[in-house]
Amino acid sequence: MAAAIETKQLTKSYKSRIHGRVNVVDALDLHVEEGEIFGFLGPNGAGKTTTIKMLLGIIYPTSGEGYVLGKEIGDMEVHKLISYLPERPYYYEHMTGLELLKFYGSLFGLTDQKQFEALLEKVNLHRDMSKTISQYSKGMQQRVGLAQSLLNDPKLLFLDEPTGGLDPIAHREIRDLILSFRDEGRTVFISSHELSEVELICDRVAIINRGIIERQGKLTDLLRGGRIEITVDGVPEQLLKDMRISDANVRTLPSGFLLDMPEENDPNSVIDAVRNQKGTIVSIVPRKKRLEDLFVETVTSKPGSTGKKTLTVEETTGAPK
Amino acid sequence: MRSIFSIATTTVGEAIRRRVLLIILLIGVLFLVVAPGLGVLSARSETTVLRGMMLGIIQLTSAVIAIVLTVYMIPNEIERRTIYTILSKPVQRWQFLIGKYLGAVLALGLMMLLMTTVLVFTFWLQQRDASAVADLVKAPVMYFVQMSLLAAVAIFFSTFVSPLVNFFLTGGMYLLGSLFNPFFQTLSESQGTPALAKVFAQIVNTLLPNFANYNVQNPIINPQTQIQNEAAYYLQVTIYGLFYIGILLVGGILVFDRREV
Repeated sequence: MAAAIETKQLTKSYKSRIHGRVNVVDALDLHVEEGEIFGFLGPNGAGKTTTIKMLLGIIYPTSGEGYVLGKEIGDMEVHKLISYLPERPYYYEHMTGLELLKFYGSLFGLTDQKQFEALLEKVNLHRDMSKTISQYSKGMQQRVGLAQSLLNDPKLLFLDEPTGGLDPIAHREIRDLILSFRDEGRTVFISSHELSEVELICDRVAIINRGIIERQGKLTDLLRGGRIEITVDGVPEQLLKDMRISDANVRTLPSGFLLDMPEENDPNSVIDAVRNQKGTIVSIVPRKKRLEDLFVETVTSKPGSTGKKTLTVEETTGAPK
Repeated sequence: MRSIFSIATTTVGEAIRRRVLLIILLIGVLFLVVAPGLGVLSARSETTVLRGMMLGIIQLTSAVIAIVLTVYMIPNEIERRTIYTILSKPVQRWQFLIGKYLGAVLALGLMMLLMTTVLVFTFWLQQRDASAVADLVKAPVMYFVQMSLLAAVAIFFSTFVSPLVNFFLTGGMYLLGSLFNPFFQTLSESQGTPALAKVFAQIVNTLLPNFANYNVQNPIINPQTQIQNEAAYYLQVTIYGLFYIGILLVGGILVFDRREV
């Protein structure tokens, strides 16, 4: 599949009076495929927004290369095909929702009022299009932001914290909209702290920490390594130990035992063995590895300690690229 | 071109809603309205004082509005992140800067038009002399060119200094260019000036925009003073202003183009 975004050793550094030259983004190798929702994660100050600004051509890289939709970053032709929703966006408050779309639309040479109204309807703001932005709630402002980001029918959307500070209902609305973008064949690049959201909607993610990409790959691959907890009763502890399941632990409970084993193991073999001994299966609880666990594990480790500056799951698991 | 126009009109919409500007404008208009009442306090000819005072009010108010309006223009766009959304669209930085400048000049023009209307109306009530009123309007027209130049100075500085520094820099240049430019000009042209001082005066005279060119109130206030070939003079200083504005905008674009926003 063609790359929507490709960076090679993309670096942005600033001069600091105390630390000298500091790499805010350090040799970034990023690969985002067309038609996917890509999550760009990292703690505050990790370099997420700087990366987005470089990809948009708003700031200039110190070194390295970057390509957006096959063209070098900063190419004005690309700007006709992409869009951006900044973090905590501010729009001209004196304008109505409709006027705002007219303004941004005019920057693309668009004048069709019906198109603007249709976009406001898509984001469920058609009843409020005559209200000024100052009268909009935070969620409405975010939705009008999404509407402006769809004006040019973009192939690639950059969304910086699209659900930041929104209530659960607005969260859900924005999430559904983002999912609809993928269904329409658009590529979505999301920078976010909302890990549960990212886990729900993203196909692939990259975790950046202190300017370095620590992990990058498919979510399903990155989140491998969950556990299964099986609580049993009426069988001796030795039965569970004799099964010799690697990386498994057996704990004694007030009544029965708890077997904690990696998710790769087949729980049916344990169930069969317990039933053969006339024992009881009390519960089976799959403990999936969550993105939050992976994120915390990644950002709390020393930068670059995952082995390489850019570590992809394909590389770590040995799977073909 | 469409982008520049859109940015300019949006800038006007924002500017005419800025409370601080409206308050300054309101104060200016209030002074214009009460000015005829203050003219009687003067020992000189009431008309002379009234003309001078009213034109002075328009010039001062316009200068304050021009500086306050433009020094915050670019920094505000960066601080509020509105610039990111605009620059992520097919808009070049130079288009953005020109659009903001033209918007500022348009807004300034509207505000000056309001003050000039009040001036004409108030003066007409006092004098009922159509030719004197028509003569009086020449000064605000020249002030508009002056303020457009002042706005260009502020826009140029706003591409690389903070609003506060810009406020003093632009204000300082306006004062120097209005009060001292004629002095440096005389110094550079005088026979008795030492060579080094002459060079210095020439450099300052060339670099500093000559805001004094547009202070055309003297012939209007004192009919004895006259500008020889008035039309040629107005055309010449307007071209000078446009040329200077062009240089400042090109300089601003060059700085802004490489600036991290």
